[in-house]
Amino acid sequence: MQIARFLSDPMMREIYLPGTLAGLCTVLMCGLLSPLVVVKRLGFIGQGISHSAFGGVGVAAMLAAMGLLTTGGVGEFAVIAIFCIAAALGMGLLADRKRTPEDTTIGLFLVGSMAAGALLVAMARGQAARFGNRPDTRSWESILFGSVMGAGRAEVVLAASVLAIVLIAMFIMRRPLLFWAFDEDAARAFGVRARGMRIVLMVLLALVVVTAMKTAGVVLASALLVLPGATALRLSQRLIPVTLISIACGLIGLLGGLTLSVEQNQQPGPCVVLVMAAIFTVAMAWSAFARRGSATSAASAA
Amino acid sequence: MTETAVQLESVSYTYPGADAPAIENIQLVVPVGSRLGILGPNGGGKSTLLKIALGLLQPTSGRVSIFGRSAAEARRDGLIGYVPQKVEAELAFPMSVREIVALGATWRLPSWKPVPRDVKARIEEMLTLTGASEFADRPIGTLSGGQMQRAMIARALAASPRILAMDEPMVGIDAAGQQQFAALLDRIHRTLNVTILIISHDLRAIAAGSDRVACLARKLHSHVSPEGLTPQVLAELFSHDLAGITGMTGPVHVHAHRATECCEHDHGSGVAGHTHSHAHPTGNLTISAPSKPTSGKEPPHADRSVPL
Repeated sequence: MQIARFLSDPMMREIYLPGTLAGLCTVLMCGLLSPLVVVKRLGFIGQGISHSAFGGVGVAAMLAAMGLLTTGGVGEFAVIAIFCIAAALGMGLLADRKRTPEDTTIGLFLVGSMAAGALLVAMARGQAARFGNRPDTRSWESILFGSVMGAGRAEVVLAASVLAIVLIAMFIMRRPLLFWAFDEDAARAFGVRARGMRIVLMVLLALVVVTAMKTAGVVLASALLVLPGATALRLSQRLIPVTLISIACGLIGLLGGLTLSVEQNQQPGPCVVLVMAAIFTVAMAWSAFARRGSATSAASAA
Repeated sequence: MTETAVQLESVSYTYPGADAPAIENIQLVVPVGSRLGILGPNGGGKSTLLKIALGLLQPTSGRVSIFGRSAAEARRDGLIGYVPQKVEAELAFPMSVREIVALGATWRLPSWKPVPRDVKARIEEMLTLTGASEFADRPIGTLSGGQMQRAMIARALAASPRILAMDEPMVGIDAAGQQQFAALLDRIHRTLNVTILIISHDLRAIAAGSDRVACLARKLHSHVSPEGLTPQVLAELFSHDLAGITGMTGPVHVHAHRATECCEHDHGSGVAGHTHSHAHPTGNLTISAPSKPTSGKEPPHADRSVPL
């Protein structure tokens, strides 16, 4: 098998190991947050934040054109990340269940940021000439979207750092966060700072999406936030098993998808998404079968 | 002197952009350990009043005091246990009843601290008191309406509140559950001596758990009749959305008093829409409503007792 050869070959390992490590960190952080994303009905948050990054690219391009930022550096990534966090906060804090629900604010920020990004990038090219700087001719995709196999040491450090932030925040905030996630109105009446919980969740999601975009690509970032949690919630209604299944689903999806991509010489991102979608389909069929079985046995007992 | 749990002084609230206040000039005193039911139609200002008492809304004017503190301080200090009308949560939420009840008592604990033994004991005690211990290990999403209500009451009580505030507790509860509800409230009151506040449009919910009743509605259907509110009228009133029935539009006041104090109470405000009602713990409801005002005279009140 090709995958075994890649892992045993020191040179190939050099190429594939950073991507695999960055992917594992990404899968772990997404697996932790995914059940929360599903129960809070934030399935499109990954799409919303990742597409809002276009606005961040526009701002970074303008700053670079004015000579305030180096293209392709840490500063550029920081500007994009800050823009994404601001957009995520906007999506969460401007949402109002009755008049402007979260799916609407996600849509608003998504299209608004993309439009702003398109205009700013075009304007930046003109500004670069005015300031005597070289215009940035890179494509948006190359700035924003990474691939599991394209990750390097920097991506591994980034993913590991964000994973540590997510783990620490989830541990510290787990009790009020769970209370708020279960029943927002009651939590507020009990004294839980609902706005604070929303800010925490949105900032964590923004960090995770930005990291996942860089280490795994935009399609995979969205999939990793939805499919593991949806699968786990089909298989269990207990918190710890759901969290573990969600992480396991992400890991199996990642490793299975990478194996499939190497074996079939295909893009890794789509392979990982398809493996996770297949796991979800099996889980859905299994839960439907188990439910029918328990209903039948209850009826026969009666 | 009786200690006061909740005191509202001239409280009014107008929603931003609204032409008329949702509640106006509310005067309310709830003694410690009492059980107050606030009855009113949909849109009558009950939820607004509850949000103000919980410190979730700041009154446009007036003052709220909960055990001598502001409503926001009382909420911060965990003095109020709240039971919502319905749980807005995703029912696939992956937690058991026991875990959800425990959150009511433990969410303030630092995450690195394990749950103390006395808190664990309190959680089990509240599960037993409410009858939720029978299904404590079941996932929260698998409960019936009555079971969910008991779980939510257990969660509220696990936080050791001094006031138990319940919003529309009869919604989604079947007939058997409604009968058990009165016994449950009685048990909670006897065991914990907690002050109970029930907000509902449902006469049965109010009668089940209250020894004092106040009626709140901006627009109240008024039967101008020398006989007052007959059982037939009552049945009509409470089977409809009162706000949808033609009624009075003047300022509405809320106040509460013991059933036995009714005759001593001064009803003579003469304000259109001023209506109050109260229930006897024995299960009879008496409603006093103003008759048609006569010029220069205070409106007489007609009282009728209605077996529930």
